[in-house]
Amino acid sequence: MSKTTSTTETDRTDTERVGTTTGETDEHVRDEWRDYSFDAPTKIGVEDLDVYYGDDHALDGVSMDIPEQSVTALIGPSGCGKSTFLRCLNRMNDRVSSARIDGSVTLDGQEVYQEGVNLVELRKRVGMVFQSPNPFPKSIRENISYGPEKHGDIDTGLLARVLGRSDEAAREDLVEQCLRDAALWDEVADRLDDNALGLSGGQQQRLCIARCLSVHPEVILMDEPASALDPIATAKIEDLIAELSQEYTVVIVTHNMQQAARISEQTAVFLTGGELVEYGDTDQIFEDPESDRVEDYITGKFG
Amino acid sequence: MAGAAETRLVSGDTSRSNAVAAAAVALAAVLFVTSLAALFEVITISDPFAGVPVVTVLGGTLSLLGVAVITFGVGSYVGAVETEPSRSAGLVAAVVFGVVWFAVGGAVTSRVLGIGGVAWAFVALLTGAVASAVTAVPREDIGSTLPAGAVTLLAGMTFLTGSVGPAWVWELEFEQQASLTAEFAIPVVTLFCALLAGWAAAKAYGGFGARGRKMGAYLLIYLNAGSIVSVLFILIAFTAFRGIPGLLNGTEFGLGTGPTVFGFALPVSIPFVMHGVSLFNDFQGVLPAIAGTIWLVVGAVLFAVPLGVGAAIFLTEYAERGRFTQVVEVATNGLWSTPSIVFGLFGFAFLIPRFGGGKSLLSGMLTLGFMLLPLVLITSREAMLAVPDEYRDASAALGVSKWQTIRSVVVPAALPGVVTGVILGVGRIAGETAPILLTMTGGTFVPGERTVDVIGGFEFVSTPPFVANPELLRATTALPFQLYALITAGVGLGDNVSSPTEFQWATALVLLLVVLSFYAIGIGARYYFRRKLDYE
Repeated sequence: MSKTTSTTETDRTDTERVGTTTGETDEHVRDEWRDYSFDAPTKIGVEDLDVYYGDDHALDGVSMDIPEQSVTALIGPSGCGKSTFLRCLNRMNDRVSSARIDGSVTLDGQEVYQEGVNLVELRKRVGMVFQSPNPFPKSIRENISYGPEKHGDIDTGLLARVLGRSDEAAREDLVEQCLRDAALWDEVADRLDDNALGLSGGQQQRLCIARCLSVHPEVILMDEPASALDPIATAKIEDLIAELSQEYTVVIVTHNMQQAARISEQTAVFLTGGELVEYGDTDQIFEDPESDRVEDYITGKFG
Repeated sequence: MAGAAETRLVSGDTSRSNAVAAAAVALAAVLFVTSLAALFEVITISDPFAGVPVVTVLGGTLSLLGVAVITFGVGSYVGAVETEPSRSAGLVAAVVFGVVWFAVGGAVTSRVLGIGGVAWAFVALLTGAVASAVTAVPREDIGSTLPAGAVTLLAGMTFLTGSVGPAWVWELEFEQQASLTAEFAIPVVTLFCALLAGWAAAKAYGGFGARGRKMGAYLLIYLNAGSIVSVLFILIAFTAFRGIPGLLNGTEFGLGTGPTVFGFALPVSIPFVMHGVSLFNDFQGVLPAIAGTIWLVVGAVLFAVPLGVGAAIFLTEYAERGRFTQVVEVATNGLWSTPSIVFGLFGFAFLIPRFGGGKSLLSGMLTLGFMLLPLVLITSREAMLAVPDEYRDASAALGVSKWQTIRSVVVPAALPGVVTGVILGVGRIAGETAPILLTMTGGTFVPGERTVDVIGGFEFVSTPPFVANPELLRATTALPFQLYALITAGVGLGDNVSSPTEFQWATALVLLLVVLSFYAIGIGARYYFRRKLDYE
C-alpha cells in the first residue's frame, strides 16, 4: 500500500468524523496510543515505527506500548501490517533483504534497533510462534532441546558424554517442563523419540510453542497460531495462551475477532495502509471504539 | 450388453465382445514382447516354434490380430456391439496412420512393383492421404480400426506367404553397403503392428469414445514402460551371461584356497577378481583395475562432495541472489555438460606436471573429482532450495545463528538430495575412460602385486610434509580403461589371456558390478538419511 493511498483514506475518515470528534484534528495522532496508561509496567515500547518493503510502505508510523504479562491482540484485515509489526519486535524482518525499518522498539527500555544488539539474546528473550506449525523434521525431544543445545545451555554431545559432563538429566527435565507448559506432555510422553512431523496439526503447533518456551523467553510473539487448526485444537491453543500470559508477555496476531475478544487484555486495530488506528482495552475496543472505522471493521462493514 | 432401458452407468464389462477385445489386446502385448525378444536375438526368427518357423507364427498371429481389429470396427459401425464412438478418430491418429501408410505404400510400390522415380513418391503420398482420410473422416470406430487392422493384416500376410522370409534382404545400395536383413526388419515391423493393432483393440475394448481413448493410452504407456524396464534387464542379463564364464574361470572352494585377508584365508578363490596378470598365473585377473576404480571413485567423491556441498551452502544461504549466482549457475551447468576428454586434457596439462610429472592415481582422482563437482553442486543446491524456509525461520526465532541453522537443520534436510546427486555422478565417473586414459593409466595389465594400496601406502618421512604416499603418485589402471585397451588395442590377445573374449566380457561384468555396488551404497545412504527425516 502506498503512502498516498493511506493519506487519502485518513482524509476521508476525517471528513466523515467531523462533528463527532472530541476535539481531535487528525485521528491517528502518532503518540496517541503511546501514552495509553496500563496498570502493568511496559514490556515493549514502539515509537514511530515505519517499515518499507522496497517501495511498499508496510507500516506507517506505529507507536504503542505493550504491558508485561498480558495478552495483546493485533487485529485487522489482510495486508494491514500486523505480521510485519510482530516481526519487527524480534527483528525477524532483518532476514527480509528488501525491508527497511525506521523508528524505535524498546524491550525493557533498551533499544532493539541499535548498533551492537545481540540478536541471539534478543530472540531468546522474544520468542516466536508461526502461522503454520513448523517443527523440525527431528524427534520431539530434539525439537525441544534444539535451542538450548545450540546456545550451549545443554550439552549432550559425544564429547560431553565421553568426558562425563553430559546434561542428559537436565535435558529430560527441560523437555518435560516445556511440554507440560505447552499442555502436550500427556499426549506425547511415551513417544518423545518419534518424528515431530507425525503429530497432528494442533499437536505440532503446541510443540512449536513448547520449543519456543525451551529458551526461557520473556515475550512470545504469535503470528495467527491457530489459523491452520480445527476448532478443538484452536480451543486448546487459546487455553494455553491464557495460561502462558500468567508468566509471559504474549503478543498475538489474529484474524479471528472472537478469538481476540476471548483471549486478550489489550487489542490493537491495524487498518489498510499499515496504520495503527486504535489501541486499548479489549472490552472497550469491542464495545465502544472511538474510531468509526474500527467500529465498521469490527461490525463487519469494512475489511 | 446393457439394454436401452438400463442405466449407462454400468455397462456389461464381462460381455463376450469385450472378452474377445481383451484377448486381442493380450495377443498384441505378447507380439510386442516377442518382437522385442527377437530384436535382441533372444529368439531367432528362422528357428521353428512347435514345428513351424517363428516367422510364420508371427505372420499368422499378426493376420489374426488384423482381422480381429477390423471386425471390431465394422461390428461397432453396423451396431452389432454397443459402443460410444466419437465423430472422428482425431488429428493425431490421422497423421500417424498417414505416415504409416505412406511408408507402406512406398515400400510396396518400390520393392514389389519395382516402380522408381517420382511415381514411387506419388503412389506413397496417395496411399498416405487415403489412410489419413479413412482415419479422420468416418466415425471413430472405423477410423481407428481399419487403417491399423489393414496394416497389421498386410504385414501378417507378407510374413505368412513367405514374401518376406528369414532369408529376405533389402540391399540399401548406399556406399556403406548397408542392408536391411529379415532378422532386423521382421521384429521391427511386428513391433509397430503390435503397437497399432493393440492400440486399436484397446480402444475397442473400452467401447471407443473417451473411455476407449483412455484404454488406448493405457496400453501404449504400459507397453512403453514395460519395454524400458525390460531393455534395462536385458542389458544387464546380456552382460552377465557373457561375463560369468570368464569371471568364474578357475574358481575353487575350500579352506585355505583363497588369498589371505587380514590374516585370514578366504574359503573361496576367484582368480579373476583376486589376481592381477602375470606370466606365472594359471588364471589371469583384474584385481589391480578393480582396486584402481574403487580408489578413483572414493578419491573423487572425497574431493568433490565437501567442495560441492560447501559451494552450494554459500550460494543458497549466503550469496545474494543476483547476477553472480546466475553466472555461477550457468557455469556449473556448462561444466557438467563439458565433454570428459576436455577434463582429461586439463588433468594432463595441469595436474600431471604438478604431481610428479607422470600419470598418477592422484591426478586421476582429482580429474574425476572436477567432473563430479558440478553435479554435486547442482543437486545440493536444488536440495537446499527445497528445504522449507519455515525451518530457517523457526531456527532464527530461537536465536540460533545462521551457521548452526545450516549445520543442524538445512544440511540434514538436504542430505537425501545431495546423496542422489552423488549417486548419479558416481555412475558417470566410474565408467569414464577418456580422462583416466590421459591422467592415470599405465600399462594395460598391472601385475597383482602392484595393486594400488592407498591406505598401506602412507609413510612418514623426515622432511615436510612429513607424510608421503607413493601409491597415490603411481600410474595404475582402472576397469573402463582396461576394457577399452583390451578391445581396441587388442592387448592380451597373445599368450597372456587364454580366452580374450571371455576376459573382456568378464571385465565388463565386473565394471557393471562395481558401479552397481556404488549405487547400492548410495541408495542405502539416501534411505538412511531420509528415514531420519520422515515419520514412519
